[in-house]
Amino acid sequence: MAWRRAAISGVGASRQGKLPDETRDTLAAEALRGALEDAGLEKDDLDGLLTMPGTSSPEGGRHYLALGEHFGINPRIAGSMIMGGATGGALIQYAALAIDAGMASCVACVFSDTARTSGSRFSSSSGWTDPWGIWGMFSAAANSAIVARRHMELYGTTSDHLAAVAVTCRHHASLNPGAVRREPLTVEEHHASRMIVDPLRRDDCCLITDGAVAVIVTSAERAESLRKPPVTIWGMGQAHTLQTTAHPDWWYLPHQRAAVQDAYRMAGVGPADIDVAQFYDNFTISVLLWLEHGGFCEPGQAGPWLEGGEKIRLGGDLPVNTAGGNLSESYMQGWLHIVEGVRQIRGECGDRQVEDAELCLVTGRGMTLNTSSALVLGR
Amino acid sequence: MSSAEPVLPELTDVNRGFWEAAARGELALQRCDDCGELRYPVAAVCPRCLSARSTWSPLSGRASLFSWIVFHNAYHAAWRDRLPYSVGLVELEEGPRLFGTLVATEGTPLALGMPLQVVFEASGDVSIPCFAPRHEGDGR
Repeated sequence: MAWRRAAISGVGASRQGKLPDETRDTLAAEALRGALEDAGLEKDDLDGLLTMPGTSSPEGGRHYLALGEHFGINPRIAGSMIMGGATGGALIQYAALAIDAGMASCVACVFSDTARTSGSRFSSSSGWTDPWGIWGMFSAAANSAIVARRHMELYGTTSDHLAAVAVTCRHHASLNPGAVRREPLTVEEHHASRMIVDPLRRDDCCLITDGAVAVIVTSAERAESLRKPPVTIWGMGQAHTLQTTAHPDWWYLPHQRAAVQDAYRMAGVGPADIDVAQFYDNFTISVLLWLEHGGFCEPGQAGPWLEGGEKIRLGGDLPVNTAGGNLSESYMQGWLHIVEGVRQIRGECGDRQVEDAELCLVTGRGMTLNTSSALVLGR
Repeated sequence: MSSAEPVLPELTDVNRGFWEAAARGELALQRCDDCGELRYPVAAVCPRCLSARSTWSPLSGRASLFSWIVFHNAYHAAWRDRLPYSVGLVELEEGPRLFGTLVATEGTPLALGMPLQVVFEASGDVSIPCFAPRHEGDGR
């Protein structure tokens, strides 16, 4: 039986893109106002505040303190967490657990960043004792390029397969009025885009944008009486390969499979039950790995399985990143994936609505490929 | 990021053995005195048994290529003049994997599993272990 003891009762997203007149806090407030309005709740209803500091937030782990002061929130549970692209999903999970345990009743999870205006380049190098930059190994793109190269060499994955992901996400973004990049993208344009870290080209990389997202979690029971149809958490999971080079399979991200399998088990479902998926796509290669780890195809086979993108396009077997994803909607580090998952289940997505969408898998992954979270959302 | 100074190791009691060995032209990693685990990254304790006792062990320097990438974008000013340059995730003959700049690759197409040999490149006063293709009859 599906868990379904907590619900996402409100989602809010600020405007996205290049917003030089805004700060991370004004954007966060815009998103939070939107989420409260969406849920039909007041700020004073909130008794939990969980946040993720963006690249432009110097407070780091004290981010919740700054936001709580700015927003006048004095909650029962509070905290900030940094798990990169897995954070949004993970914070919602902790909110759900706290609510289920009776420690809170209405928790706001918030992310905001002015990465674009602040000039964030995601260029830092990993490594603790000796940073990998000693050897020229810099950037988030490089870590995913290591994955892509080995996947290509072992399994025959090609740049055409990667392009199919980029083109599909752009197509979906073209149907999303809130997306930042809505103009069409072709495979040829993808192949002609500048090489960043071979084998990844510019059009294999996500956007860098300003914006904010807020998600309000309540008990499933309370959600029944709020403004929008309840979207409940059927299942959730996390897993992390915190060792990098020392773990034999780090490059293949085995934690992603574990996180999704946990979410499936808790939901009592499998890949055949999923109607639509929002897969964390910092780079195109990531979508291929989620398809494999989510059990939609065999390990190594995601490239050919895509059928040029038809399988993951609206109308295909498994529409993926129906709002455009990190690649074309906006780079909110996976938080907009959660928003889109909720809106698909509610049936609010207009031209990009997946017909009869009953179950959505939402995934996140971050840091040096280390962390992962997964949610199965349904009614 | 505006600095063109290369990233160099900060020597501590934990990593000094690695860089002193490199200065002698040796690749050495820590072997746990208690469980025998040969470890990388360099670390104060063994990730297998948490022992803090270890001994620096010289290795063969032979390795194979596990994955690689080619940088066309300068994420750090010190590397701008070297573009495009290759970095490999290499697997040492003794087991551990590490990242290393790939050098002397002209004329040798990179491929998974290709044999490599450690070579040392000077960056200022520091000797940095990098990896070059290992050819038959190199005798090393």
